Amino acid sequence: MNSFLTPAIAGLTAGGTYALLGVCAVFTYRLVAVVNFTGAAIGSAGTFALIALTESGYPTFPSVIAGILVGAAVGVLIGFIMTRWFAEANPSTKAAVTAALLVGLIAIGLRLTGGQHPRVMPDLFPGSAFRMAGVEVTIASVLTIGLAVLFTVLSDLFLNRTRIGLHLRALSDRPLAAELIGVKVRLLSLLVWGATGAFTTFALMIIAPQRSPNFMTLSLLVVPALAAALVGLFRSFWLTLAGGILLGVVEGLASSVDSISQYRSAIPFLVILAVLLWSQREARWDDAR
Amino acid sequence: MSELVISSLSISRSELPVVTEINARVESGSISVVLGANGAGKTTLLEGLSGIIPVSGGTIAIDGSEIQKARPGQRSREGLAHVEQGRTIFSQLTTEENMKVALRDGSDLSEAYGLFPELMQRRTIRAGLLSGGEQQMLVIARALLTRPKVLMIDEMSAGLAPVIVSRLMAAVRKLADAGLAVLLVEQFAALALGIGNRAYVLRRGRVVYDGDCKTLLRSPDELHRLYLGG
Amino acid sequence: MTRASIRASLTIIIAAVVLGSVIAGLLPSYWVFLATSVLITGVALQSLGLVAGRTGMIALCQMSFAGVGAWTVGYLNIAEAPGGLATWILLGGLAAVPLGVAIGLPALRLRGINLAIITLSFAAAFDVILATMTFPGQTAFIQVPRPTLFDSDEGYFVFALIFYVAIAVALEFLARSRLGASWLAVRHSERAAAAHGVSVAKAKLSAFAISAFIAGISGGLLAGYLGTLVAENFSMMQSLSLYAVAVMTGAHFAEGAIIGGILVVMFPEILRRFDLPQDIGNVLFALGATQALSTGETMSETYRRLLRKLAPQRKAAGSTLFEGDLPAPVEHAKGAALTVEKLTVRYGAVLALDGVDLTIPAGSVAGLIGPNGAGKSTFIDAVSGFLARYEGSIKLGKTPLEGQAAHVRARAGVRRTWQTNRIAPELTVGGYLRLAAGNLSEAEVRAMLDWLDCPDPETPVVAVDAGTRRLLDVAGVVAARPTVILLDEPAAGQSHEETLRLGRRIAEIPTRFGSSVLLVEHDMDLVRAACSQVTVLDFGRVIASGPPAVVLDQGPVKRAYLGIEESVAA
Repeated sequence: MNSFLTPAIAGLTAGGTYALLGVCAVFTYRLVAVVNFTGAAIGSAGTFALIALTESGYPTFPSVIAGILVGAAVGVLIGFIMTRWFAEANPSTKAAVTAALLVGLIAIGLRLTGGQHPRVMPDLFPGSAFRMAGVEVTIASVLTIGLAVLFTVLSDLFLNRTRIGLHLRALSDRPLAAELIGVKVRLLSLLVWGATGAFTTFALMIIAPQRSPNFMTLSLLVVPALAAALVGLFRSFWLTLAGGILLGVVEGLASSVDSISQYRSAIPFLVILAVLLWSQREARWDDAR
Repeated sequence: MSELVISSLSISRSELPVVTEINARVESGSISVVLGANGAGKTTLLEGLSGIIPVSGGTIAIDGSEIQKARPGQRSREGLAHVEQGRTIFSQLTTEENMKVALRDGSDLSEAYGLFPELMQRRTIRAGLLSGGEQQMLVIARALLTRPKVLMIDEMSAGLAPVIVSRLMAAVRKLADAGLAVLLVEQFAALALGIGNRAYVLRRGRVVYDGDCKTLLRSPDELHRLYLGG
Repeated sequence: MTRASIRASLTIIIAAVVLGSVIAGLLPSYWVFLATSVLITGVALQSLGLVAGRTGMIALCQMSFAGVGAWTVGYLNIAEAPGGLATWILLGGLAAVPLGVAIGLPALRLRGINLAIITLSFAAAFDVILATMTFPGQTAFIQVPRPTLFDSDEGYFVFALIFYVAIAVALEFLARSRLGASWLAVRHSERAAAAHGVSVAKAKLSAFAISAFIAGISGGLLAGYLGTLVAENFSMMQSLSLYAVAVMTGAHFAEGAIIGGILVVMFPEILRRFDLPQDIGNVLFALGATQALSTGETMSETYRRLLRKLAPQRKAAGSTLFEGDLPAPVEHAKGAALTVEKLTVRYGAVLALDGVDLTIPAGSVAGLIGPNGAGKSTFIDAVSGFLARYEGSIKLGKTPLEGQAAHVRARAGVRRTWQTNRIAPELTVGGYLRLAAGNLSEAEVRAMLDWLDCPDPETPVVAVDAGTRRLLDVAGVVAARPTVILLDEPAAGQSHEETLRLGRRIAEIPTRFGSSVLLVEHDMDLVRAACSQVTVLDFGRVIASGPPAVVLDQGPVKRAYLGIEESVAA
């Protein structure tokens, strides 16, 4: 029994991170209609700001805050490019832009962080939270999953209970009609970019110690994140959440089977392939073309 | 006092001139009606006025200040409200949420409910589930809550039963009587001419008639000629 | 297979021979070595240009296909397969094809975004697999041998150049073929492509297959170039950065692929010489791609546009219409060309069409009019096969069309035009006509274009104004001479005189080309000039039909258009 449970639970931290990144991707897509390939790269920027600060001897907690702010700022920067020049572009063009920007972000990131050599990442939340069926459940995994749930719940509350949330929902429903009645469309879009930037940053800070924290590996976590978002069909937060966690658990299980453990990074591809073939079985025409 | 003054306005869509050198005005407390067959350029005119598409020449002035370069949101804050055709409600939001999006300092939901009491009973219903007539009331109410000086409505009557169209026309007349400047774009001429003051007929993007609504209403043959040619 | 293809191919070959001999003959070995790398990258970019530039799909795994080609070459080397490097490279290209098709298969029904996600995730998965498998011979340091004839750096440069030129010439011919035109059409509008009888699935799959083949070849060339390979050569990052370069330079143009290759190879080289970090290159590619996407114009397109401006405008040699050159009329069956019975279409709760009956007699021009939202465009969509479901029956001649996809209906003889401009701007006017109408002779193309006042066949569509593009749209379907032509507001944006002229042309279509026409139009002068019968729709129902002069004066029609009640009018 434990031979299955241990690796499955070991995959929870990654799963929580995928879930949170996926939920952020869905949030961005639903509110500003961009499939964002730079999501994880934005978070990596903030994470490496934290690493740089702690390496220079600054205390951990303020460094975390500063890192999150950096992530939010990079998110706003990408958002500015998207809203300034690509507000009226079609979804494919927007996706192509973020794919191109990902190339640039990774290049800048690798340059500033000293290439692909892993850096020392402070383990923010070491240790185990509790034991389940005799298996240690780490604080990090509880935290990432908790954060993903929190983000889902909070965004639900925020969107439904606040005036800005109301405006955001109007914006996502009909951007043009919203602009015509004076909703500050650009400002709100930047807010979305900033908020998702901050949350992804925090998610990556938690998972970074478990991966070899170089800028590129962290940035490419966008692949499982988008796989999770596809499970939720880029609509449902809760399905995305479940998809991300499941993806992490399956990866964890795969790593315990010797014959396939080396190929576990191919799992998101298989998940994406399956989801797409299933969900697109009826769609025939590319929208509006 | 003219609230909205349009001077030699030209608008193109993908390089095709759709609206050419149009002059028109809307006074406070009155209704100007823009008529014309499909494809005459009526909707393009409104979209150019509210900033959805850029204008290629001419000026648009509200209360004396030119707005043709401003973004749509800016024009809305200057006092220009545009009710698009097709009843562009936020379908996922409730009736009341739809209106709250538009609330400004000094505007109050009770104004909207005063004009359209029907919406009061439907306020917690998702707007996508409202009837066509209720949706049309909702988008007009939403526009009013932005406290406009000029209200532009595109094809208000499209696809609605005559009794509801009459109800809406009466409401619009009431708004004009209370001092609002209204620009009404219609394909169905009779009812709009019945409540309007000044009429413009567009054909191929140009004004081919500019005059009194009553005169046009009394000569349907003239209207028929202006619309269908021949 | 026009003279234009041959001319362009000769230009490529001559440029290659001249530049190739200068580089191989005069430059120091080190620069020749770099130039070879430019060519190999150029081949990879050409493969990307085909799928991303021409067909408009976001493909982020091109270097994975190259990796397959390289791996195959390495494997064949270890296995001591016969044939030598050139054969192995071609086999490597072929090995990549099934993978290209497999990745393209879900793309058939996928929107662009999803394709981007799946290709990126494939690149990520392939990274891992390649790193685990290692290249054949990598651990034993077994080199892939170059052919003896091309063993030196100069020699291998020539070897790579031959491949580059062969691919460029083949692509040049493909681009001007109907298949090539169908790629551009699919990129611009899948619906419009299907309306020309193009199978969207076939167009996309063939693009992916050929693209994977070329990418595989670039990988094989790299294997011979470097001798031994590591997984790093084909990493996801390489694929991503190659995509950015392709978007920036326009890799579907021969010069775009070479410019891209030069940027990819020379940029790090220059930066290295100035002691600058080499990865700045990727930042510039990202910015360049973003810039190209925001203006909608790649470097190659900018360069070609400027060149067009500089070159003196070639005037069409006198507008002498040789009516005898127009394509001959096609005999269609007598009786009803199209019979629509009880056609009903629902969008959710809205009844867009409600039991519409309409017949187009063979050899006639029928009109369909009605106020905004009456259901006219829905009618055309239903007949041409662009609606998922409808009730009622649609017969072409005596054949029911139910269950047939749009491109099948188009081939069977139902052709349509569009209200919005859906012509791929990258095509030439003549190329578009051939896409729409199949094989026409040079003289037929010219005569057809003249007949509707369209410009010279070699004119690029991008240089044609929007009003004339609509006429071109009409010229395309008319030249195809199908059983039925559905024209959706062809006169929008035309002046009054042009409209009347167009009306006369439309009236001539049945006798001159043999096709029957349904004209949807708002301009009543045009309807009067062209149609023998009109049907009026209001709220999805037929409210009148008959000769135009009678129908347009009927009370219900006036009411539908003007909203004038009898009582008011009286």
